[in-house]
Amino acid sequence: MIEFDNVHFAYGSRHVLRGVSFSVGVDERLAILGGSGDGKTTVLKLILGLLKPDSGRILVDGSDITQKTENELREERVKFSIVFQEGALFDSLSVKENIAFCLREYTHMSEQEIDRKVRELLGRVGLEGAMSLMPEELSGGMHRRVAIMRSMAAFEPKMLLYDEPTTGLDPVNADLICRLILDLSENGKGFIIVTHKIFDAIKVAQRFMFLKNGTIVFNGDKESLLRSPIPEIQIYRSECIVA
Amino acid sequence: MNVERLSVGTTKIKELIRDLQDLYLLSARGLLGLGRKPFYAKDTLEQMDYAGSGSFLIILFVSLFIGMALSLQLSAELAMMGLKMYTGRIVGLSIIREIGPVISALVFAGRVGSGIASELGSMILGHQVDTLRVFGVDPIKKLVTPRILSAVVMLPVLTIIGDAIGIFGGYFVAVFVSHQSGTVYWASVREVFTFENVLAGSIKPFFFGYLIACISCYMGLSTRGGAIGLRRTTTKAVVVSFITVIIADFVLTRLLFYVLGFSV
Repeated sequence: MIEFDNVHFAYGSRHVLRGVSFSVGVDERLAILGGSGDGKTTVLKLILGLLKPDSGRILVDGSDITQKTENELREERVKFSIVFQEGALFDSLSVKENIAFCLREYTHMSEQEIDRKVRELLGRVGLEGAMSLMPEELSGGMHRRVAIMRSMAAFEPKMLLYDEPTTGLDPVNADLICRLILDLSENGKGFIIVTHKIFDAIKVAQRFMFLKNGTIVFNGDKESLLRSPIPEIQIYRSECIVA
Repeated sequence: MNVERLSVGTTKIKELIRDLQDLYLLSARGLLGLGRKPFYAKDTLEQMDYAGSGSFLIILFVSLFIGMALSLQLSAELAMMGLKMYTGRIVGLSIIREIGPVISALVFAGRVGSGIASELGSMILGHQVDTLRVFGVDPIKKLVTPRILSAVVMLPVLTIIGDAIGIFGGYFVAVFVSHQSGTVYWASVREVFTFENVLAGSIKPFFFGYLIACISCYMGLSTRGGAIGLRRTTTKAVVVSFITVIIADFVLTRLLFYVLGFSV
């Protein structure tokens, strides 16, 4: 479904990706690991066409999205749902309005239907009682759960993208988010999770990629990841041993 | 060393040209958004409430005291020349044509412009604008157009109210401090209430509102670099708006002099 072909990207003079190439199938569960500033989030933004690469091609379902206009990209973006770091809920809207955002924008549902749909989605993550709360009243874990449900509300995405979904959460909440991610991919839906928490990545993903200095230094399954001699991966792995 | 300086200078000029080009595009797209569906009526009304009722008291206070100070200064000077009876005329003319629109615009830029820049900036940093784009929503249409519309509607309204309050402040000082006749003051003010003068003072706020909204939205949406970046863009939005309003005021004044046939 997604193919990166020799993609280069820089923020001004800072090169973030240097000739990155990989592909991900629609039903794959991929974790992209790496340190801060190593280009993990940039990869997700490139997939969505929120950023344009300096060179290289990005194919989604065989078509090169780097050549598409903003209007054409909108059609591509509905194939994905993304949960940004810390949720990115709209501050000025309540939990209910956040989840109902796309329903109001793209459907002709009545107020009652919207209410029912929002309750159903929040019910799946145990937050029925939080409908009228504002984002600032939510804990970190609640924030992420609402954001995940919001991304599922209006569209039927082919693939889910998660940007650091467990960062800053306590182990219990992180585990809850990991289980939610697995639940949502139960019907064979693939996802890409970007994280620096290897312990959480191992819980949910089948394949792992490690980014370092803008290049992929590891691409393989769990067993090879745990046996990898790459020093950075060994440091990350020590987190698992402690856990 | 000189080559390095030249290179830095060239980069800065390129950045300035790119910024101006982007600002122009955003302003044009924001304005064109008024004629395209969907119309975000609720967002526009919320922005009008924030810009209008939120700025009302500040503009009221500032205009009142500016009018009072102006009247005080003029009364003293005109009394020395035996022209005290013209206080109302000069206060009225200054406020309607020049001081009212400019002061209201500067207050508006300080309060509303900074608010727009910081709000949009924090939406950028919190990935909320990216989320809108992923949801297929045009951020210019959703965020910029309602702010432009609210500024273009509310600043003229606030200016008219500010003008009235400023002239009243002038009356207060003229009568109770400079001991002039109230009837003479109002008669003098009435003389400058001509169609040309009112038109000259009412056109400016539309342009000022548009410029302030576009600059603030542009600065907010180009925020980078966390809390420091947000501070930088908010400050920049206010400073650039102030300078632009002052320059635009001169240009518009010159243009209106020409169009309305005021003698120089």
